[in-house]
Amino acid sequence: MNVLLNDMAEHEKLDQFIARIKAGEKIEADDWMPEDYRGTLIKLISMHGISEIMGALPEKEWVPKAPTLNRKLGIMAKVQDEMGHGQLLLRVAEDLLKPYNKKRDDLMQDLFTGDLKFHNVFHMESKSWGDAGLIGWLVDGAAIISQTNMLGASYGPYARALHRICAEEVFHAQHGEAIIMALAEGTEEQRKMVQDSIDYWWESLLLFFGPPSKNEVGSSKQDVTIKYRIRTSTNEELRQAFFSKYVKRILSLGYTIPDETLRFDKDTETWIYQQPDWGKLKIIARNEGPRSQQRLNLRRISYENNKWVREALAPKVI
Amino acid sequence: METRQETYFEEFEVFSRKTQTSPVQYHFSLLAPNEDIAIMMAQENFMRREAVDDIWVVKRQNIRKMTVEEKKTLQRIDNKDYRTTKGYGYLKKKWRKYEQEMLDEKEIMSWAGGVKNGE
Repeated sequence: MNVLLNDMAEHEKLDQFIARIKAGEKIEADDWMPEDYRGTLIKLISMHGISEIMGALPEKEWVPKAPTLNRKLGIMAKVQDEMGHGQLLLRVAEDLLKPYNKKRDDLMQDLFTGDLKFHNVFHMESKSWGDAGLIGWLVDGAAIISQTNMLGASYGPYARALHRICAEEVFHAQHGEAIIMALAEGTEEQRKMVQDSIDYWWESLLLFFGPPSKNEVGSSKQDVTIKYRIRTSTNEELRQAFFSKYVKRILSLGYTIPDETLRFDKDTETWIYQQPDWGKLKIIARNEGPRSQQRLNLRRISYENNKWVREALAPKVI
Repeated sequence: METRQETYFEEFEVFSRKTQTSPVQYHFSLLAPNEDIAIMMAQENFMRREAVDDIWVVKRQNIRKMTVEEKKTLQRIDNKDYRTTKGYGYLKKKWRKYEQEMLDEKEIMSWAGGVKNGE
């Protein structure tokens, strides 16, 4: 039956592919797909997968320092989930990489050389328990907004991975909210800890959704991801959704947002805000963020130290 | 000295059953060096919260999936009422005429624990 597909001209295959995704069908790993679709998915999903793994690092720093046993168990469970999400997503990326004969080890090497990027927020410091809470509340909150937007993605394996991931993200967000709520209702020192975290993370949270267009940093994949029905909203629409869901919650706890211009314009039904420094996104993409090199080194050392385990478990040549 | 494959671990597909009577459900794939480690990783990766009664791992190379072309044969035409209870729904009205309840799916499946005798 595959002969039928092989006999078709490229443009016919493309037409059939576009018709399938327009009809809401899911594309599977072994199906024919245009090269730019595969390339976009590889870039998106390998970055997402490796970001889950790198994202566990700022939180793992707080496992030994969590204030109670219950909080320690909670944050350990979250760190374990993030590594699990990384495993799922790397599998999806690896299947897409097969025609290029690239495997997991290649992805790790790409991370170490800087060819494979990880999300800007995971290059930042996590200086206090307030930061640990804020990561769960607002960083995971931002991630939930961007990930739920892709739950209906045209690529089946990614959509299925996201369904599993988003279900667990709900726990992550509530875990973060619980830490923030306890601090917000605590002593003056504890309350200040949260305000300091909001002030430190706000710009990174705006950068997280990516530039509104390719003018800010020179490139943007958002048009192609929307064209191929991988997601439905633009970077700016996702950032606006984040404001709509979280600004009132931050203010309701008596905190301020470090942007005096931030307001909702009723006429245009959009949030007006101070643009972040988009240049910082470029610095981070070069792995020159506040903690980029420390986190990469942690991963390099761990990958090297565990090499003997991978080798010992590799199947013997018969 | 024994030599080992340079290739990375093998691909396994993971399935599980929630209870002894539930259908087996597909989860996702994982990389593992052998079946025993695949089972352990499946438990860690996919069963951290949900109830589970059994886990299956299958090497991906042993699974034959359908191609896009073959999947087209799966489309159904909605003209097969005679295969389902939907095509026999009118019996409910008929039985009512004879002052009897229809033995529908819900009623029949409720006999699992035994039927209470009665007139």
